[in-house]
Amino acid sequence: MSYTWRFDVVWDYRAVFLRGVLVTGELTGGALVLGLALGLVLGMAKGSRLWILRVPATVYVEFFRSTPTLVQLVWIYYSMPILTGLQLSSTVSVIVGLGLNAAAYFAEIFRAGIASIDRGQMHAAQSIGMRYSQAMRRIILPQAIRRMVPPFMNEVANLIKLSTLASVLAVSELLHEAQNLITNTFRPLEVYTTLAIVFAIIIFPIIYLSRRLEIAWGARS
Amino acid sequence: MADPMIRAVDLHKRYGTHEVLRGIDLEVYRGEVVVVIGPSGSGKSTLLKCLNLLEEYERGEVWFDGAPVGYRTLPNGRRIRERESRLSLLRARIGMVFQSFNLFPHKTVLENVIEGPTVVLGQPLAQARALGTDLLRKVGLAQKADAYPSKLSGGQQQRAAIARSLAMRPQAMLFDEPTSALDPELVGEVLDVMKALAGEGMTMVVVTHEMGFAREVGDRVVMMDEGVVVEAGTPDQIFTAPAHRRTESFLAKVLR
Repeated sequence: MSYTWRFDVVWDYRAVFLRGVLVTGELTGGALVLGLALGLVLGMAKGSRLWILRVPATVYVEFFRSTPTLVQLVWIYYSMPILTGLQLSSTVSVIVGLGLNAAAYFAEIFRAGIASIDRGQMHAAQSIGMRYSQAMRRIILPQAIRRMVPPFMNEVANLIKLSTLASVLAVSELLHEAQNLITNTFRPLEVYTTLAIVFAIIIFPIIYLSRRLEIAWGARS
Repeated sequence: MADPMIRAVDLHKRYGTHEVLRGIDLEVYRGEVVVVIGPSGSGKSTLLKCLNLLEEYERGEVWFDGAPVGYRTLPNGRRIRERESRLSLLRARIGMVFQSFNLFPHKTVLENVIEGPTVVLGQPLAQARALGTDLLRKVGLAQKADAYPSKLSGGQQQRAAIARSLAMRPQAMLFDEPTSALDPELVGEVLDVMKALAGEGMTMVVVTHEMGFAREVGDRVVMMDEGVVVEAGTPDQIFTAPAHRRTESFLAKVLR
């Protein structure tokens, strides 16, 4: 069987990919900010001694981790307007949906990172008169964050790939743009291959940076 | 005698069903060095951590320089928790040195020492650095000021931790088995710093297995076992004429 690869067709449409990259970046960036903020709060709540904080946070995390992300997005875009009358645009729906989803994973990273720091660090900080919040900010978190970076970067890479789910809500991110391109060019193999390469180009530096940071911090402590 | 600097009254603490402290009374006077000895699991370290409320206790009271630590009992018998800001102010006046040093690994030795003065006391950086450098010189670590803790030996780390505590200009110091995690040849350098402190009149409570230190530096020795104070007295009394069988058998084991 002979197949003639025609990547030149894809090259003619490079602007489409570039546009897709920007939208993918926007979705991921928005979801990242929301996910980090909410994840930090949830992670603290999950590690709390007060059940009134711990239980709802745990329920939230387990709910989002155990249901398909695609369903979560569809639910926010199509079901929420029916139930609450609140209709978000497809882009905002995706940012909110991916953000809420990422928060569940970030929460677990935050909680585990903080829990991994020896109790003696908190004791030492409190013994010199620091309040809990001061000790957290100045002593515990700076150490915990270093341990959080590898799983965090991993999660960011996942989030970038998850953003392709936005295509089901017709948001013009990379996958959606690629699919449109296929209907124009009838070149699915070339387009999908290019799509994979584009994602690899975006994600590889993140993984590389993560490894470099690990090495640099490992050398110090 | 004046009022005690540190006073614990009828302290009770349990982990689950295990009673770690079963009614401890302890008084430490200004300038006194009290050494707490006893077998492991006797509650010594827990008692020490209750004195600045790093460990919660269920019953009893702790007083520091006339102020309740952590909890206050109202006239109607109800026990209320002190506000964190008050507790932190008290803790700032009580130094603590830990078995595992607990230096902050992401900060240099000098940064460890000036953390409390700058963050808690609000000292200007230059002043804190000058004080910190002085203290490091005092514990023999001037040349290690810019090193990270991981580059230091255990003995050096513990001396740095002592300097970190001293930087707060504490009125009393608690030592929780400060030499137990050290290689034998490094114990002496830490004990020397502690002896010097005692010589300057620092009020100290020291949990240790170093009986030589207890005998030489201690004003009073408290023997604990199974969550109670078995007996207390001068080092001479305890080491040469213990009143209690349990003290006798404990000393026989550690002084072999």
